[in-house]
Amino acid sequence: MPFDIDHSDSRPIYVQIMDEIRRGIVVGAWRPEEPLPSVRQLAVELRVNPRTVQQAYGELERDGLLYVRRGQGTFVASRANGADRQALLQEVARRLLNEAYRHGFDVDELTGALQREAKQPDNTQEA
Amino acid sequence: MPEPIPTTLPAQDLAVRTRGLTKRYGRVEAVTGLDLTVPEGAFYLLLGPNGAGKTTTFRMLMGMLRPTSGSAEVAGVATSPGGQVRARMGFVPEHQDGPYGWMRTGDLIRHHAGYFPAWNDAYARRLADAFELRPDVRYGELSKGQARRVQLLMALAHTPPVLLLDEPTDGLDPVARDTVQAILAEHLAEYPTTVIVATHLVYEMERFADYVGVLGAGRLVAQVERATLQAQLRRYVLDVAEDWHPQLEAELPLLRQNGTPRERRWTIWGAEEDVTRRLTSAGANVRSVSALNLDEAALALLSRKEDR
Repeated sequence: MPFDIDHSDSRPIYVQIMDEIRRGIVVGAWRPEEPLPSVRQLAVELRVNPRTVQQAYGELERDGLLYVRRGQGTFVASRANGADRQALLQEVARRLLNEAYRHGFDVDELTGALQREAKQPDNTQEA
Repeated sequence: MPEPIPTTLPAQDLAVRTRGLTKRYGRVEAVTGLDLTVPEGAFYLLLGPNGAGKTTTFRMLMGMLRPTSGSAEVAGVATSPGGQVRARMGFVPEHQDGPYGWMRTGDLIRHHAGYFPAWNDAYARRLADAFELRPDVRYGELSKGQARRVQLLMALAHTPPVLLLDEPTDGLDPVARDTVQAILAEHLAEYPTTVIVATHLVYEMERFADYVGVLGAGRLVAQVERATLQAQLRRYVLDVAEDWHPQLEAELPLLRQNGTPRERRWTIWGAEEDVTRRLTSAGANVRSVSALNLDEAALALLSRKEDR
């Protein structure tokens, strides 16, 4: 299975599929010109409605991240680039900020805490 | 003005439709004035507590039970007792008692196949393998979960345009449930099918749903596209003064409220922007807004019904 659907997540399933494919492209799990599973395969693997997978593929195609080769299936477009990475980062930021607001913190408090947290020895990410 | 919670869907091609469908047993109305509209190709989840009228509705759709009043149509054909509608439907009933307990499972399946010209034998064999059915065991000796799988096979293998599944995962262990979900996904990819599932176990079937009907005490409390439900029904967490008593009931369809006096958690139907604006101008600080999963949404819609 390429990824999991979280049914307690309040994002619609097609959005979760889109987000996961976007993420997969950005981190290199899927490379340009590589084929994606067919709608049927992915629907069976994720145990979801094929129409939902079709919807996710359709929207990603409109966004230019995927394209269809007639008779061959769906492929990752060659322009999986910095703009998508930026969009993904923006989405991560949006979620963090919402979570901070929900707990009564503002953006400066969140930023400060992120900097402090990143300096913890356990959390330094190797570049 | 607030928008009411929809109980009718926009006009489109319907696979199943009922008009004022009603079933009365003596003085008790099990189903009252049901206007079910199920679009072609939909995966329609009919939700509601036990005794809400789901099974009665299915039996009327199958022509197994005569309505007290109202009518039902499947693919444009009116349902009638023993009528032609049944051949176009796959049905998994909630209870599997019947006169077939003495039959071996394999014989029962062959017997059942005889009623359906569209029976696909190769597909039936594939399903039997996937479900790990044992054809030589008597049907009456099967566990609840095994019998369920036999019924699913019998419902799917004639690839009907309409499937009615009444608590299809009831009695299944987690592995069998997973198998059923995989088979359903494959079936939908392979054959154009409209599916109506009645269940109180929302989380097992919500992964497939694109339409939702909520039944409470025999009436439709909501009937709506799932995406609309997900967009319109939200939980708002509000920071307020302890003595905050806004007069918003007339403006906002408030379905549920909990939380504490200073942090209220309100479930409200409406466009998020509009609701947030009204709450803010009434003096609340909207701390967060979140969507509900289907289980929570059904609960919220049903609790509103009780308030009335």
